[in-house]
Amino acid sequence: MRRTLRLFLPLTVVAASLVTAMMAAPPGFGARGPLTVEGATAMMQKTAVIAALLAVWMFAAVAVTLLSGREIRYSSVEMRASALHCFALGLVAVTSFALTAIVFSYLIPYHVGVPLLFALGVFAILTKIYGTIAVFHAIGTLVAGSRTREQLATRHWFRGDLAMVVVGVVILGAIRLIPIVGPIIWALASVFGIGTALATKFGRREPWFLAYRAVES
Amino acid sequence: MTDQGCEKYLKDPEANAAHLRTCAKCNAEAMALAEKADVEPPPIDLNALPLAPWEGSSHRAWPLVLGTGAVVAIVALALLDAAGMSPLHVVEGSLTSMEAIRTQLSRAASSLRSASLVAQIAFGVAFIIINGLLIALLRRAPRGIDA
Repeated sequence: MRRTLRLFLPLTVVAASLVTAMMAAPPGFGARGPLTVEGATAMMQKTAVIAALLAVWMFAAVAVTLLSGREIRYSSVEMRASALHCFALGLVAVTSFALTAIVFSYLIPYHVGVPLLFALGVFAILTKIYGTIAVFHAIGTLVAGSRTREQLATRHWFRGDLAMVVVGVVILGAIRLIPIVGPIIWALASVFGIGTALATKFGRREPWFLAYRAVES
Repeated sequence: MTDQGCEKYLKDPEANAAHLRTCAKCNAEAMALAEKADVEPPPIDLNALPLAPWEGSSHRAWPLVLGTGAVVAIVALALLDAAGMSPLHVVEGSLTSMEAIRTQLSRAASSLRSASLVAQIAFGVAFIIINGLLIALLRRAPRGIDA
């Protein structure tokens, strides 16, 4: 299992590079037949935009992990411990965000909708950013994390939250470069991340709601 | 006499501690119990325990982080240059996609406003159900390290 996971990283990078090279290859070399100049330019621009966004994700992930590494780690552990719950919560949360945004847009003529929509947008973006970084940490730990203390002691680079997050960004970023499949996997990771962020209250291990308990006589 | 003494001792060993000097049987049992009580717990092999998530987590592998960050940034800049774009184009593209989402939202809101009363009620019911489900899922305590 560990060897399979270890092979996963280089294989993913190689596969993503091959597919990207095939899609962006000069006319006559593409898997789908000759590409037009416009098509190749569009593909090149799309790849460049994805790579630039990946660099932004990398810096954001490093910054957030440095600021709150413990919270990111806890969310990552939660995602690996109860993945199905996090995914279900993420799906419901995304649907709730969409429906609530429509309701707030409906309220825009009554002036109360604008601040509500703004607050919802900020909350949704922060949730997505935090959750995706937790997903990076979880993927990095699954692929490159230490299994034993001896392994941990011998490692110099592939240990610690920061390294796990960076490995996760590289793996998920390489997958993101694959056409068609990449965006779908990235979207699924975002759903996972939103669910994890909400399930752990951004890694703080606090309940969202106060529990009511009757006073005992 | 000996049996009565033994019974008294068994009922209250501390009060009848002198009985041990006169009864060899009770003395032997008391010695055996004391030896058992002195047994130390078996040593715990820490290396046999599973690795906790926090172990080694504070380590910061700066060479890996800086190296990977630099490589990703250089590749992104090179691709942008090859595609004839500037980083400003990426920011503009992100803002354009946000604008597209906002347009879709306002379109959905206006179609909801012009929809029939039944459709509006159905939307309201769906809104309440989804948010109720969200609250119900949020009530579950995280498993995390207790899993």
